[in-house]
Amino acid sequence: MSYSTFNRKKFDSLQEPMFFGENVNVARYDQQKHPIFEKLIEKQLSFFWRPEEVDLSNDRKDFLKLEEHEQHIFLSNLKYQTLLDSVQGRSPNVALLPIVSLPELETWIETWSFSETIHSRSYTHIIRNIVNDPTKVFDDIVVNDEIAKRAISVSKYYDDLIELVNLYNTLGLGVHHVPERGDVVVTMKTLKKALYLTIASVNVLEAIRFYVSFACSFAFAERTLMEGNAKIIKLIARDEALHLNGTQHMLNLMMSGRDDPEMAEIAQECQQDVINIFVEAAQQERDWAQYLFKDGSMIGLNAQILGQYVEYITNVRMQAIGLEPQFATKNNPIPWINAWLVSDNVQVAPQEAEISSYLVGQIDNDLDGADFDDFDL
Amino acid sequence: MTTLISNTEHQDRDVHRVLLGKKQILVTEDEPLLPQLERAGIQVEYQCREGYCSSCMIKLLWGKVSYPIEPLAWVNSGYMLTCCAIVKSDIEIAML
Ligand code: FES
Ligand SMILES: [Fe+2]
Ligand SMILES: [Fe+2]
Repeated sequence: MSYSTFNRKKFDSLQEPMFFGENVNVARYDQQKHPIFEKLIEKQLSFFWRPEEVDLSNDRKDFLKLEEHEQHIFLSNLKYQTLLDSVQGRSPNVALLPIVSLPELETWIETWSFSETIHSRSYTHIIRNIVNDPTKVFDDIVVNDEIAKRAISVSKYYDDLIELVNLYNTLGLGVHHVPERGDVVVTMKTLKKALYLTIASVNVLEAIRFYVSFACSFAFAERTLMEGNAKIIKLIARDEALHLNGTQHMLNLMMSGRDDPEMAEIAQECQQDVINIFVEAAQQERDWAQYLFKDGSMIGLNAQILGQYVEYITNVRMQAIGLEPQFATKNNPIPWINAWLVSDNVQVAPQEAEISSYLVGQIDNDLDGADFDDFDL
Repeated sequence: MTTLISNTEHQDRDVHRVLLGKKQILVTEDEPLLPQLERAGIQVEYQCREGYCSSCMIKLLWGKVSYPIEPLAWVNSGYMLTCCAIVKSDIEIAML
């Protein structure tokens, strides 16, 4: 029940479920119940990058030349991304570390969160470089209504889970009276349900909510504008693709019952809730696109096309966790975005070449070993 | 559905048919399905092209594919990752 930073019990961690089993004691990675998380850690470490490696001096000039409504699109997206990564830089740690039971998953959660802090630092790097007063941009994130609406949706499930787990860790299972909140039922079932919905909502956050913003960044870059920013977004997108792999695995493992049989029942019961989380998020992202383009569209993108893209990507993400796609859009309305999203052609400026090429070289070596020579794109 | 193949038997030039709706595309085992579909003018979703993002997942209705390296993405049965799967027999696929 109450959390221990070093569980003194002797047990076989290979027999533990991902969550709500024993607290992890020895951080060992020589054996894993779910090797995928060890692989994700290694991949994420090989992706390490620093925002300062990307030169943004041309972005400042470009930004000043943008029309006012384009500046609005650019800055609003940055603010939204800042919100999302503020949440992601802490919440997997706060919500999931107290309940995780596998050493490889514990370290994946920490590695994942850490990479989000790099994303947050990159927004400071961008904002500092393009505006004179970063405070104006950052301060608006907590007062801007459009952002605030999204803040509620992205933090709600995390906060519910954290509340339940806090009660569980201090008072144990039971019905607990919480001042100003009433009776809260803490059972293994309510805990696991809150966990399942949280993971689904995080999957939506990382696999869908970022993509409107990504599309706008790359639409600027297609016009050779804000190219430093686009480089950073490519690096972020590469990380996010790993993160969504992590939550897809957690969800699929839970659904399969292979990890924890009770979790499979909960997944079954929550299926409609999860579908609703996806559909509502897609609606919110379409609304966001409307807000972005309220004073005018940009070349190659408008609210309607972005809305279709949101529907399309939502279908793709739903299919990946075995859910029926919910939207009619079956084709990518902006296929050019994939050439930007692909990590292969992250171009690096000369000053950053040393570090990045070392990393890229490592990845290539792996591919060579498996006779994948023709994989050149 | 999937079997690992060793590097030595990797050179065969077998050509297989890929059925997609009313279309039929001929592919080899020399490279993954994705670039071959692209050359045939078929738009397939992708992101990482390395087996970890699951964006390129499509339905594999029947037939056999294999993965020279086990991909990081979760692949449900009845689906395949086009970016890293080698087609090993005639297959039928379907998009979203
Ligand atoms: S493109 Fe990422 S898994 Fe195939
Ligand atoms: Fe992030
Ligand atoms: Fe992320």
